[in-house]
Amino acid sequence: MASRNSFQTPANRPSSSTSSVPSLAAVADPPPRYIDGAAMDYFVIEMVNTLRASSAVATARVKKVEKELVDAGLMPPSAPAPPTLKKSQLRDSIGSDASLHPVSKDGNCEDDEELRARLEAIGMHVGANMAERLCHERGLFSDTLDAIKFICKDLWNACWEKQVDNLRTNHRGVYVLQDNSFKPLTRISGWEGRAESLKRARVYVAMPAGIIRGALGRLGYQATVVPEVTVLPQCTFQVKLPKGS
Amino acid sequence: MPPQLKLNAVAFVSPQNHPILIRTFAQGQDELKYHYIAHTSLDVIDERIAAALASKSTDCYLNLLYTMEDVAVYGYITPLKVKIIIALALTDSVVRDADVITIFRALHTAYRQAVANPFLKVNAPIDGYNDHATLLQAGNSKWRAFRKRVDDIGKAVGAVGSAT
Repeated sequence: MASRNSFQTPANRPSSSTSSVPSLAAVADPPPRYIDGAAMDYFVIEMVNTLRASSAVATARVKKVEKELVDAGLMPPSAPAPPTLKKSQLRDSIGSDASLHPVSKDGNCEDDEELRARLEAIGMHVGANMAERLCHERGLFSDTLDAIKFICKDLWNACWEKQVDNLRTNHRGVYVLQDNSFKPLTRISGWEGRAESLKRARVYVAMPAGIIRGALGRLGYQATVVPEVTVLPQCTFQVKLPKGS
Repeated sequence: MPPQLKLNAVAFVSPQNHPILIRTFAQGQDELKYHYIAHTSLDVIDERIAAALASKSTDCYLNLLYTMEDVAVYGYITPLKVKIIIALALTDSVVRDADVITIFRALHTAYRQAVANPFLKVNAPIDGYNDHATLLQAGNSKWRAFRKRVDDIGKAVGAVGSAT
């Protein structure tokens, strides 16, 4: 089984169970922890399915409460705006890393949106911590381009074992990162035809987009990241940095 | 005879110059004094950063910032703009840069491992760019593990000196 030196689990340190204090050198540069690469891929894929089921349950719960309110006459049977409020109050009970509640028209789309938002939130957390871990050895970033290059090389290497194939910029804060064989997408195949597969594949890039966004956020750049899949397994991420950074 | 470094205090400051954690190890010392030290260090750090940018250096270690009555203050900035400030008791023996850098890396590791905890921000809004709000509550219970790690580092410094 392949193993790779990525995904340092930022978990609890088990070491200080002994009575003596760990030596300074051990604490300063802890040995890297390894994780099985194939298992990781499997978990990430399964995570999407699990979260889909979970967010369906959460949405159903929210809708049920809404329906009760509507029936009790407390709420006019309207409009998209109230669902946003309701959901944000129930957010705590959902107990996840949070969800955004964009307004949308039909059922499926909404579920997918919520799933994508959750995946992106998870990705942001993961990305921020990966960036912390990877920055341990290196020095300061000289400018924005340096930060983007760090993402393209170090982060991509750690997460997906290759580097970005193509980086384009318009020198005004928009960067396009292109990966010709994006690792999460290489294993996707469907029997329904290309368009369906593309649609399904979109969900799987939500977490990587979150990872990039989280990493940039931790570095200090509030960016928006838009992933695009046109041809499997190629994927492009459009990163927009705010002006003045 | 390895020089015995004594760590008096540690301060972590967020990228927005808000204090995250200030921890003192010397008994009988006024904690407020170290708050003051950390605060004044911020100005010095800003100067050093500006100088570093001008000279295109990418070093994280900011070296000795200044000395006060009985402490020498060293600074370090992580690539993520979190500043770490430590106050070492002034000794006559030579303090090696390598030792101080090791201390800083240990502190950075402790910070990194503490911040990676996803349960710190379970109920936070998704666009967690108001990270800072959570960071500021570093005094309370959730950050206990972090404080313990920092304490361990303090003890390790005192006990070991430079056994590397």
